[in-house]
Amino acid sequence: MDTSHLAEHAGAASSFFASIFVVATLSMRTMIPLRVFGILTNIILIASAIPTHNYPTLVLHAVLLPLNTYRLHQMLQLVRDVKKSVNSDLSMEWLKPFMTERKCAAGEVLFYKDEKAESMFYIVSGRFQLVESGIEVPVGAIVGELGMLSPSNMRTQTLECIEAGVILSVNYTQVEELYVQNPAFGFYFLRLASARLFQNIATLEQRLAQHATPAFAAPKLA
Amino acid sequence: MGSLLSSLRYLLADFIGEDDDTPPFLPDGLPEGAAPVVSEGIHRLIDYQGASYARLYVARLRRFVGRRDVDDAMFLEIARLMAMRMSYEDPIRIAQLKLAEFGTGADDPRGRSTDDVRKFRFDELIGALPAVVAEPVLDVLERVGWTRKLVSIRFSTKSRWGVRRLKIEAGLRRWRLFSVRYAKERAWVERWLHMIGRSLAKQPKAAIAIVQTATMVQGYGDAYRQGLTDWHAIIDGLAKPTFDGVLPVADLAAAIAEARAAVMPDPRQVALQRAIAEIRARALGAGTNAAAG
Repeated sequence: MDTSHLAEHAGAASSFFASIFVVATLSMRTMIPLRVFGILTNIILIASAIPTHNYPTLVLHAVLLPLNTYRLHQMLQLVRDVKKSVNSDLSMEWLKPFMTERKCAAGEVLFYKDEKAESMFYIVSGRFQLVESGIEVPVGAIVGELGMLSPSNMRTQTLECIEAGVILSVNYTQVEELYVQNPAFGFYFLRLASARLFQNIATLEQRLAQHATPAFAAPKLA
Repeated sequence: MGSLLSSLRYLLADFIGEDDDTPPFLPDGLPEGAAPVVSEGIHRLIDYQGASYARLYVARLRRFVGRRDVDDAMFLEIARLMAMRMSYEDPIRIAQLKLAEFGTGADDPRGRSTDDVRKFRFDELIGALPAVVAEPVLDVLERVGWTRKLVSIRFSTKSRWGVRRLKIEAGLRRWRLFSVRYAKERAWVERWLHMIGRSLAKQPKAAIAIVQTATMVQGYGDAYRQGLTDWHAIIDGLAKPTFDGVLPVADLAAAIAEARAAVMPDPRQVALQRAIAEIRARALGAGTNAAAG
């Protein structure tokens, strides 16, 4: 019995079915659903290419399937890490995979006070100092994350490398892209930035209270 | 349709340039007599690069507006010198100026046929291109040791082809802010402003001397490179250590003047380095005596 015409019909039907998924994929507004539909489309197109022996399509989608899966995994992991960070230590380590490594020589200035802020940095090694306040930024710290959300977009201090080291940097545009592509990430990122801001305010209030206490206490002692 | 076009323009902004050509307003609270200087600076930078670049100039100037420690004369000098430094002379600028000169002299036949030959270093020439193109080329030039080689470039309005070529060169300004050279110039201007700010905080009397060091960095080719190296030598050898508190220079303005007097057109900077070393030794000696006394 000749089954070639059956395979032909099955191929045509599955191609039609796959076309619906292609349209659905392209109509997705955000990255995670787009990747999910991309994966489904890849699977359907692979399945439809087998009976019709359409090997170029089969090979193409066999390559695209793991790529889409990997990108989806990256996005989901990012959301998970940011969410975890909001609920624990407020760390920004989750940003590391998106950052570029750069060596810094002693004396090099990463940014100047009042300069327009365009990127944030993660200190991997070496010694870095905020020139105006004289505060040394410890290894593992993220610098410049609030500049992205501040309306003035200006650096408030100068950061100088005082002992050669390595930093990771990421452009605000890249973070903005992640934010726009992925609403869940955007939501947790905002929560994380707000939490860090509140933490800074609490530290300042604590310092203010420490400075204010002796002044108020003095008349009582007298 | 309009919104679709504006989306396309936004998508391709890096390639076709910015849409926003609204010139910046003069900042509020300018000192008396500053408006013409700042206005001239704004026009110069709009002509040089565009409205958004002029806005950067205004934003940088705002750092000094209304400061009690910056008098009118110093503000004027900052405004004038910053406009000068922000419109640095790269091959694109020279092509722009040549075209402007050609446009002005179009009615006067005597002013039309001019020919300029300028010598640039290879790294200077390639550095005017966008970093994504320039960096691999510069790496290759570095490997073969050609970065410092001088190249003669003719800027001519004598022929139609010469004018066309100038227009192409001047058109490269669209990508100027992505260039290797711009990144360095931006860092330089920020460092200069940072040094002025630190001087105002640590040695206010020396601030005007720091402002005027911008005149050391001018032109193009070897003269520019020499000026830049000399400027860094003075800032790194005298100004920065003084502000960091590791060099007790009592009169930084005088020290800078003394070092600037020793500046020679010498790539090895023998006289300048000697002068800086002497000033440092004197300051450290005086500091030790003061501590002992």
